[in-house]
Amino acid sequence: MTGSFRLAIIGSGLITQASHLPAALALPKVQVTAIIDPAPARAAQVAASYGISPLIFGSIDDMQNAKACQIDGAVIATPNHTHKDLAIRCLEAGISVLIEKPLANSVADGLAIAEAAEQAGRVAAVGYWRHFSGITPLLKEVVDQQYFGTVKRFVHQFGTEGGWAPLSAYNLDRRTAGGGVLVVSGSHFIDQLLYLWGYPDTVEFRDDSAGGPEGHCEAVFNFGGESGPITGIARYSKTTRIPGGLVLETDRGILTVTESGEGSIEFRAAASPGIVQTISRGTRTGAATDEFVLQLQDFVDACLERRPPRVTARQGIESLRLIELLYSQRKPMAQDWYSGRGHKDE
Amino acid sequence: MSKRVAVIGASGFVGATLVERALQSGLDVVPIIHSSGNAWRLTRHGIPLRAASLLDKQQLTSALKGCTHVVNCSRGGDDVMYEGLANLLQVSSSLGISGLVHLSSVAVYGDPPLPDSNVEGGTTAAQPGTYGWIKLRQDQMVEKAAAQGLPCAILCPPNIGGPYSGYLTSLIEALRSRSLLLMDDGNAVMNIVDVHNLCHAIELSLDRCSKEARRMFVTDDEEITWKQVIDGLIPVCGTAIDVPVVSMEALSRFGSQSVNVPRSSITRSLKHLVSDEVRAAIRKDPLLAKAEIMMRRSVTFLGTGVEQRLKLSVGGPPPLPKIAEKIKPNIRLSAQQLRGVRHSCELAKREIGYVPQYSFHQSMKAFRAWYSAHTGVNDPSWELSRYLWLKPEFLV
Repeated sequence: MTGSFRLAIIGSGLITQASHLPAALALPKVQVTAIIDPAPARAAQVAASYGISPLIFGSIDDMQNAKACQIDGAVIATPNHTHKDLAIRCLEAGISVLIEKPLANSVADGLAIAEAAEQAGRVAAVGYWRHFSGITPLLKEVVDQQYFGTVKRFVHQFGTEGGWAPLSAYNLDRRTAGGGVLVVSGSHFIDQLLYLWGYPDTVEFRDDSAGGPEGHCEAVFNFGGESGPITGIARYSKTTRIPGGLVLETDRGILTVTESGEGSIEFRAAASPGIVQTISRGTRTGAATDEFVLQLQDFVDACLERRPPRVTARQGIESLRLIELLYSQRKPMAQDWYSGRGHKDE
Repeated sequence: MSKRVAVIGASGFVGATLVERALQSGLDVVPIIHSSGNAWRLTRHGIPLRAASLLDKQQLTSALKGCTHVVNCSRGGDDVMYEGLANLLQVSSSLGISGLVHLSSVAVYGDPPLPDSNVEGGTTAAQPGTYGWIKLRQDQMVEKAAAQGLPCAILCPPNIGGPYSGYLTSLIEALRSRSLLLMDDGNAVMNIVDVHNLCHAIELSLDRCSKEARRMFVTDDEEITWKQVIDGLIPVCGTAIDVPVVSMEALSRFGSQSVNVPRSSITRSLKHLVSDEVRAAIRKDPLLAKAEIMMRRSVTFLGTGVEQRLKLSVGGPPPLPKIAEKIKPNIRLSAQQLRGVRHSCELAKREIGYVPQYSFHQSMKAFRAWYSAHTGVNDPSWELSRYLWLKPEFLV
């Protein structure tokens, strides 16, 4: 292919407006050729707000019927339950896809996408943008090299009182969202956890669901590991404010990874907890720092160089597999706050 | 016709509790939300929700269809509070709603309130521009609608406790950061109501709406002090708590500074117009930049003395080095101890048969159970997660 990479963006909701479209416009060799949305007027409005005038379609069918519309790759930023059908339609038409996380609503759907990509010889990437944050690879290196000792325990948490309100409101229904806060907020860490330690040996899971998508959950992960067992807890909430971050206890001290802003890694040695060491790679590449730009750049390069993207559909399936395992182990959280039943005796 | 209750603002603290109680009791409720983003506490039940904006009468009419009663737990910007409420009252009237329960606030009596506000007939002394002022105007709108034929009730809660309480959570955060100042050994009056007690009063009021729409206090009906509340929260702070003390005089001084609402002033507006920030913005436009340069030249032409006086008048004296304050006190929360008045819920007891379902002790215990379960405080994992919750100076 010569010239620009012709990109279609499917879905013109909040994540497209806030992240995918600005990322595409930041890359000179990417041309936003089309935006597809069942609400074409909104798609046109979003495009106009960025001063561009791509082709606007109400469906994939409309795009495919428009012979003049040639697309090299598509970003799929639509409700989770639509990922599978849209991705397969694109892949079968020879269009590579970058799919917003999670890859799909089930392992079976994820496998269908991965197989369609393999058959078509096209790229299927998953939008776990944290792989493109400087913090995640640095943490992986610190953990693997046992730079600050061997990890024994960890806690990951993040909670807000509500927040992100998708225009389609697909998050209100477990069938369309594929789950609750574990999927919406926790899936990034699930992916990160697999990247850091691989698949856990055993898991536990509790949530507050009473038939709908859970608003609060807690997961426990146990790893055997060559360097000794690791136990971790992840806590996510859409009903309670919980400061976000990852804390790891090693045999030498405490590592704290905060995710706000550009993020940081700090170490407090057990022997001198009052002294804080802040970790960074110490080199600047001069490359763009916006993770969505880097993610799209990787997707485009993967398509052009015919190589796998940084986060493949197969990796996305492993995240789905762990999410399904957690939900299969589900136990309800005690919630009868006034009776005291199920709570620790004060 | 059986009762069907629309809960406006159903995704909020009180609204969600009311809906969850209805799921238990069998009361037929229609949760009405503004945005799906905040509705997680409801969506976890897998129940149908209706979305409507109070600013859109058509949406509101459609959302209230089939409802016999309305509970207004909504909050929002000025437009929602005034225009939104006006729409709600108008649509409720036109649909022949049998009763509308409106949530007011003790803030209508001012901050601090006058001593006569121990009963509902006391002086409403909320200052313009404050939350209490907005709630007071809302009460008047509801009273007017009631007088015109829409049966209403106005419930007036103080701070609201119980599971999911944002107020108690903010007190914990202030305690952890040592920013809550304790006055008079904590003996100041705390007016508080458990969220389930308030919801119980709402449920009772549904059948007692009238065209008089008298405002009624709803409290836990106990003589609670700040010390009791703080003692109740310390077990879930997850760290040793040392509450800084303050005298009533000092807190009064701080308090009066914090409630000052800036008044409009031509001089202040002119100073703002010629401030560095506004001029920097003006310079971004080529035409306005030219005008700005011309204005600067004219000032320079008037001489150094005039220019210096103008600079001093606009920007004030040059800044002095600041001494970093170790802890910035939370005056907004701390100054509540100056309120001093204990609001009586005798009227609600008499008029609607209100009897608190939970004692203050039970309410705090329930809050602690919820807070511990949701945040992991006091769990073994707290040894690690405290690094995310606590300020670095309180970690060692």
